[in-house]
Amino acid sequence: MTGTTPTRLALALAGLIAALAPGASAQEPPKPRQIVVNVAGGDTLAATRRIFFAEYEKRYGIRVVDSSPTNFAKLRAMVESGNIEWTVTEIGGEDAVRGQRMNLFEPIDRTVVPMDELPSPARDRKVTLARGVYSTVLAYRKDAFKPGAYPTGWKDFWDVKGFPGPRSMRNRAIDNLEFALIADGVPVDKLYPLDVDRAFKKLDEIKPHVAVWWSTGQQPAQLLIDREVVMTTGWNGRFYKMQREEAGVDVAWPGAMVKVGTFGVVKGTANAYWGQKLLAVFLEPKLQAAYAEAVGYPGTNPKGWEFIDKAAFKYFPTSPDNLPYVGWTNDEWWADNGAAVEERFSRWLLAR
Amino acid sequence: MSISLPADEPPRAGIAARLGGGAGPFVLGLPALVFLLLLFVGPVLRLLVLSVEGGDLAAYEKAVTDGLYLTVFWETFRIAAIVTAASIVLGYPVAYWLTTVSRTTAAIGFACILVPLMTSVLVRTYAWMVILGRNGIINRALRDWGLIDAPLPLLHNLPSVVIGMTHVLLPMFILPVYSVMVRVDRELLRAADGLGASGGQIFARVYFPLTWPGVLAGGTLVFIVALGFYITPALLGGGRIIMIANVIENQVQTLLDWRFASALSMVLLLATLAIQAASSRVQAPRG
Repeated sequence: MTGTTPTRLALALAGLIAALAPGASAQEPPKPRQIVVNVAGGDTLAATRRIFFAEYEKRYGIRVVDSSPTNFAKLRAMVESGNIEWTVTEIGGEDAVRGQRMNLFEPIDRTVVPMDELPSPARDRKVTLARGVYSTVLAYRKDAFKPGAYPTGWKDFWDVKGFPGPRSMRNRAIDNLEFALIADGVPVDKLYPLDVDRAFKKLDEIKPHVAVWWSTGQQPAQLLIDREVVMTTGWNGRFYKMQREEAGVDVAWPGAMVKVGTFGVVKGTANAYWGQKLLAVFLEPKLQAAYAEAVGYPGTNPKGWEFIDKAAFKYFPTSPDNLPYVGWTNDEWWADNGAAVEERFSRWLLAR
Repeated sequence: MSISLPADEPPRAGIAARLGGGAGPFVLGLPALVFLLLLFVGPVLRLLVLSVEGGDLAAYEKAVTDGLYLTVFWETFRIAAIVTAASIVLGYPVAYWLTTVSRTTAAIGFACILVPLMTSVLVRTYAWMVILGRNGIINRALRDWGLIDAPLPLLHNLPSVVIGMTHVLLPMFILPVYSVMVRVDRELLRAADGLGASGGQIFARVYFPLTWPGVLAGGTLVFIVALGFYITPALLGGGRIIMIANVIENQVQTLLDWRFASALSMVLLLATLAIQAASSRVQAPRG
């Protein structure tokens, strides 16, 4: 009777699961009273707490203590000294690659974290989870230009005659090199390996028009508000509220560079298992959608878009509206070349 | 590091001896000594070890031969010197004024000097951004009065960094100078006057030499503290004014080259000690 085979199989599976389930929960490590999770500060911390931590605390009865900001140097010191304060930490894209190479993270336990729901390459990550993305974008003051004649990309950022006024860029090479190459005509999907010489040559053109080389994330929005500059680079979440409230600041998406925001379980932490459980919560599409609505940084789980209003798609770097026009930062390239290129950039910045 | 201020009072060795027997001064100094050993000498030694990790001096070689870092060191010393000069020019008359006014006025004067000293450097730095910005108080006033059409670039340059740093460091100059000035014997000035010296001569040949130890102490203090400034140049310099502390931070946080960061720190420390040693050997100008 061939018809019974699937049923038998299902029964056998159910039995297997039933047999395993009590065993699995018995093997669950003891619950700590609390875990410490290190995240980037500001609005993202508040939203992470309200959306992800609240759910985790409710589900497992473990308190989440947060600390911030993300700090790769501190993470490295923690693992090297064996004095591990954080259970889980957020970490920037190329730092995640470096952290993996320096062996600073526990591998992701795929039996706990449903990574298969993610598209590649997020699915193929081994030690850090890509919870969401963030993007370095071109933001501008609308009142600095004629209505409708707003900058639309990096060519316009470099066009100081057509779009006059002081600019601001970050005081680091990352993103700036990509933007220079895009302004010079390189398509966003053909950026890597970066032609560093060509990028610096193009950066020479814009250097006299950069009034401020920003160093902290809140500076760009403040510079726009204070009218210190008419356009700037910056992380999209910093402009998200102003965009949604139509507060006179908007973002040009074409050529924005997208990066994954990742989390890892810190190597040697006593509560690794419960850290993995938190990573699993991070992947839930409904929570990711709520987080995107709150701060402008969408999640990696494609099911998340089902929970976001289509009219709001224009505010997110990887929404179906904007995805075709953005570039993806190659973390591997930056992990390999970052140190040398950043030093060259510092040198370039100091040269008169 | 110790700044040699003239002692305010004769040493009270008697009390120390009565409190701790023969080893009194040492026992009394012990808590401070332990504190310094644990929180200053210890970390400095760790930095030293870190800077020669790998058994060679490659990090030092890079720190003192690479044009980039030499430029930054030079720029750092130049800014510290400008800030010190500005503190002397602004602070010396204020300190003198404080010695001439009534007690009440002096108390108000000191409050004006000390309250900013106790305010966060960050807050004071942001205040300068509000004042000097393209849309700041000065530019808006000038525009409203019709004196300018386009905003003046007052912020994000060397002058704004110097203004911000001088504002932060000025009290550190005024206080040591004042402590020397109050003890200058006025009879000497009157004697010089009686012997027919002009006002300028009295100042140049009597008063200034007598207050020189205070100028030296205050100036050294301002210079050394200025060498290590970080947040003010970072915010008021718009990323274009780069001092050595900004480079060290970049090495630690971004490039993760702790060995090189340690070497840069040690070079800065050595330079600081050298300045301190040199300043304690400088003689008062002869009147």
